[in-house]
Amino acid sequence: MKIAIPADKPDLEAKVGTRLGTSQYLVVVDLKTMAFEAVTSPAASGQSISGIEVVVLAISKKVNAVLTGYCSPTAEKYLSASGIEVLTGVSGTVSEVVEQYKKGDLLKDMGVERESESRRSKIDGPALFHALKTSFNQFVNLLPILVGVFLLIGLFNALVSKELISSLFFGNRALDTLLGACFGTLFAGNPINSYIIGGELLEYGVSLLAVTAFIIAWVTVGLVQLPAEISALGFRFALVRNAASFLMSIVIAFTTVGVLNFIKGLFF
Amino acid sequence: MRLLVFPASVLLIYGILLVMMPDRALLAIRSSGKLFLIILMPLSLVFILMVILNLFLKPTHIAQCLGKGAGIKGIILSATAGVISMGPIYAWYPMLKTLQEKGVDSSLIAVFLGNRAVKPFLLPIMISYFGWTYVLILVVFTILGSIGVGYCVDVLVKEKPSNYIK
Repeated sequence: MKIAIPADKPDLEAKVGTRLGTSQYLVVVDLKTMAFEAVTSPAASGQSISGIEVVVLAISKKVNAVLTGYCSPTAEKYLSASGIEVLTGVSGTVSEVVEQYKKGDLLKDMGVERESESRRSKIDGPALFHALKTSFNQFVNLLPILVGVFLLIGLFNALVSKELISSLFFGNRALDTLLGACFGTLFAGNPINSYIIGGELLEYGVSLLAVTAFIIAWVTVGLVQLPAEISALGFRFALVRNAASFLMSIVIAFTTVGVLNFIKGLFF
Repeated sequence: MRLLVFPASVLLIYGILLVMMPDRALLAIRSSGKLFLIILMPLSLVFILMVILNLFLKPTHIAQCLGKGAGIKGIILSATAGVISMGPIYAWYPMLKTLQEKGVDSSLIAVFLGNRAVKPFLLPIMISYFGWTYVLILVVFTILGSIGVGYCVDVLVKEKPSNYIK
């Protein structure tokens, strides 16, 4: 069994860190052999980090428990969801805390019963409630734009003739696909909207090639989010990735429709 | 609040239309309602799939998948992470930045971003519009396309290309 303890120094005599996200090291101790490994925490870089990075580190070390002074509710939620026991309010040196944990004193102090692995992995009420709540929030966030798209399509159907929409496209397969990719590049947001708009464009007589390029470019290429991507991942990365994804949306459109037509020719 | 700007603007257009061309406005409302009814069933399936994914997949699982391993294994894991990731892309940038700083290959991050176009929980909607065959072919080519984009990033972004596809 392995436990992880945030600490200010890379040894067993180091003081236990007060916060999981700010300690310089994460000392991982194997309770069976008492062998330990001091891993440099992402917090050691001096940059502000999110608790989730330390959580990822703890999970990657396959620890069974995390003992710390304080753990944010979010980090605790993710650790618990990964089957890792979290004990907070812990103080002293790493070796003292390890001994207390081995004797079960820490759990006794907190009045906590240790859960079995099998019990943790079950879908329990709180986990289902949390999943429902998260899904509901995601769904509610999706709805305003979705309703807007429905209403806009209704307006288009009532005011714009199919001929007008069709006239925006050239009737040339290559140029229409390029145009579809350009439209997809300009817009961003939940892919569900691109499916609905794409489906309606088909009704208007726009080619499946153009619609496919539109759907793929909608998610993979983003002019709107380009500044954010540049800031996070670098100018060259963002530029090359978006340019390659734009070209790829056209390639994907041609291959998808080509294979679809081939299959239709074979079976229908 | 920001999310409401777009639907509110469309509603404003409806308001103006209702005053100026009431028959057209009613036609538009009827058309929107019809569209909503068509999509109601697939939308319910979307919610159920969202709950299932939220129940079994945590962001930590995705972070663990992304960037783990090299070569084909790394590509498969990054593609999987992209497929199962949910939420707006902005929410993922900080984690991607951290992973890039930790040495995760840029090409694998590109594979992850490319595979965000494959959304299992939205498949019911896509199928209702385009049919099974099309969706299946599109998903396969989207995944292959993301690997192609990853290769471009590997060659053009890095000074020295890695063993991305060997």
